[in-house]
Amino acid sequence: MSTLAVNLLGIVEHPEIDGMTPYRIDADGRPYVPAGDGGVVLGVRLGDPAFGFDADHVAPGACLVHPDPAARHALTAYACVGNEVVVRTGAARGARGWVVGKRGEAGRVIVSMAQEHLAALRPGDGISVRGHGQGASLGVPGVEVLNLDPRLLGLLPLRVEDGKVTVTVRGTVPSRLVGNGLGRPAQMWDLDVQVTPSTPGLAGLRLGDLVALDDVDVRHNMGYRRGWRTVGVVAHGDSPLPGHGPGVTPVLTGPADLLPVTVDPGGEPALSETVLSGAPY
Amino acid sequence: MRAETNAARLVTQILTGEVWPPLADRNGPRLDADGRAFLLPGMGGVTLGVHCGDPATGYAADHLEPGLSIRHRDPGANMALQFLTCVGNTVRTASGAEGFVIGQHAYVLADLPEEALAEVTVGDPVTVVARGQGLRLTDHPALAVKNCSPELVERMPGGTRADGRLEVHVAATVPAEAVGAGAGMASEFANTDLMGAYAGLSPDLSLGLEGLRIGDFVAIEDADHRFGRGYRSGYVTIGVISTGHCMLHGHGPGPSSLITGPAEAFHIVRSPDANLEVIR
Repeated sequence: MSTLAVNLLGIVEHPEIDGMTPYRIDADGRPYVPAGDGGVVLGVRLGDPAFGFDADHVAPGACLVHPDPAARHALTAYACVGNEVVVRTGAARGARGWVVGKRGEAGRVIVSMAQEHLAALRPGDGISVRGHGQGASLGVPGVEVLNLDPRLLGLLPLRVEDGKVTVTVRGTVPSRLVGNGLGRPAQMWDLDVQVTPSTPGLAGLRLGDLVALDDVDVRHNMGYRRGWRTVGVVAHGDSPLPGHGPGVTPVLTGPADLLPVTVDPGGEPALSETVLSGAPY
Repeated sequence: MRAETNAARLVTQILTGEVWPPLADRNGPRLDADGRAFLLPGMGGVTLGVHCGDPATGYAADHLEPGLSIRHRDPGANMALQFLTCVGNTVRTASGAEGFVIGQHAYVLADLPEEALAEVTVGDPVTVVARGQGLRLTDHPALAVKNCSPELVERMPGGTRADGRLEVHVAATVPAEAVGAGAGMASEFANTDLMGAYAGLSPDLSLGLEGLRIGDFVAIEDADHRFGRGYRSGYVTIGVISTGHCMLHGHGPGPSSLITGPAEAFHIVRSPDANLEVIR
């Protein structure tokens, strides 16, 4: 079956803070004001460290939403990592970029573009998203692809042979460290991983890295399944909140023996501006 | 020795809510962890036939909420109801029937005798006698108490030991791998869904938690719920199972958070009788 592309409209988000208090409480009980949690964020790029900012859930670029809740869920569900976006209104009209990940709850699509275009964006601007990827397949029985533009299948560090998909990742995260996002649909929600710079093998985690989540099955809602594995893209940075952390947008899921990983602690992030612009990995 | 508390300094607030209807959408069924469609009751409304001490799983149900599921119509008042209500608080229906709060699940959940439950329906007003937030165990400064009525702490087996630790009896210990939906949320809201209790589904989903009962006290390993629900190696959270059977992946029987702190501040005793029934 061939996959279908659809044009969606995302609206550049304005950050929101609930109620009359600006404070959230971090995992050690300290209050903080959440900066960088949604909207247009400047100075954060793919390849930057996931633990590199004093911010909350900071994403490399802008977050898109939609004022109608059902349309917002559909925007989030159908937008896929690698989809091209084009600004339709405002001072950045005509600028292009790419979807680099998604976030959950009410739904957000994270798009990356050049800093000068981001600087010209204004919350409320319209951005068209070429939604394409749900329903794509690698042709490997047992291993499912989701949230991924099919054009990236040939550009990411993955190899299909002998009925397996071998992926190069920054590191692996055991399921006990997976937090917010469990129990939610993987097409519309990311998985926050409760890792820190002291988590073995993950001190160098960067935005755009691929990571493996062991014993996690995201096919029909995200949850624990022994012997399963999910691979995703790190789409936003760390959060001070307990139960939260860098956010992973799942792109591959299958039995671990059909989805072996090679850990590369030092290489370039799998998802970069170069890869998104179409250069082969 | 009974653990000392600041209960004498706590105040009581009278709150109201109503029995909230079960909710569905036009698409009907949902999918279980293995991709099979289901359409089953359990969440919202008045759920009959399941009480404290009964098995949590083994029902044709999803997000089973025993007894009454209670909300307030006004959003701000509802958050006060959800945050201020504590496990063990008394609830009263319009006809004067009394029960007690067993936990939260984005609803306040209350167990009443079966014959009283049978007379309640959706929309009926419920009064909640809220007392407990702010409770402290004065001899255990490392431990934080959440969602606990003073009466519950008084009646829970265990207490302060000669070595200074808090003895708590639990029916089960829960590995961190089981923590599902609810991670990252406020400890005073809803509960922690436990995965690995999918009775009747694939064995590769099991974490050995199919034997839980409604009202069981459990100890969640490596869980720090002092400032919200998160993973912290070496911490323990004591909870009470307030919801039951789930089909939806990443969900399951859920403990409401009660006491949380470093593992060395606790002396955990495994006891099959460790259940909220002590509050009756």
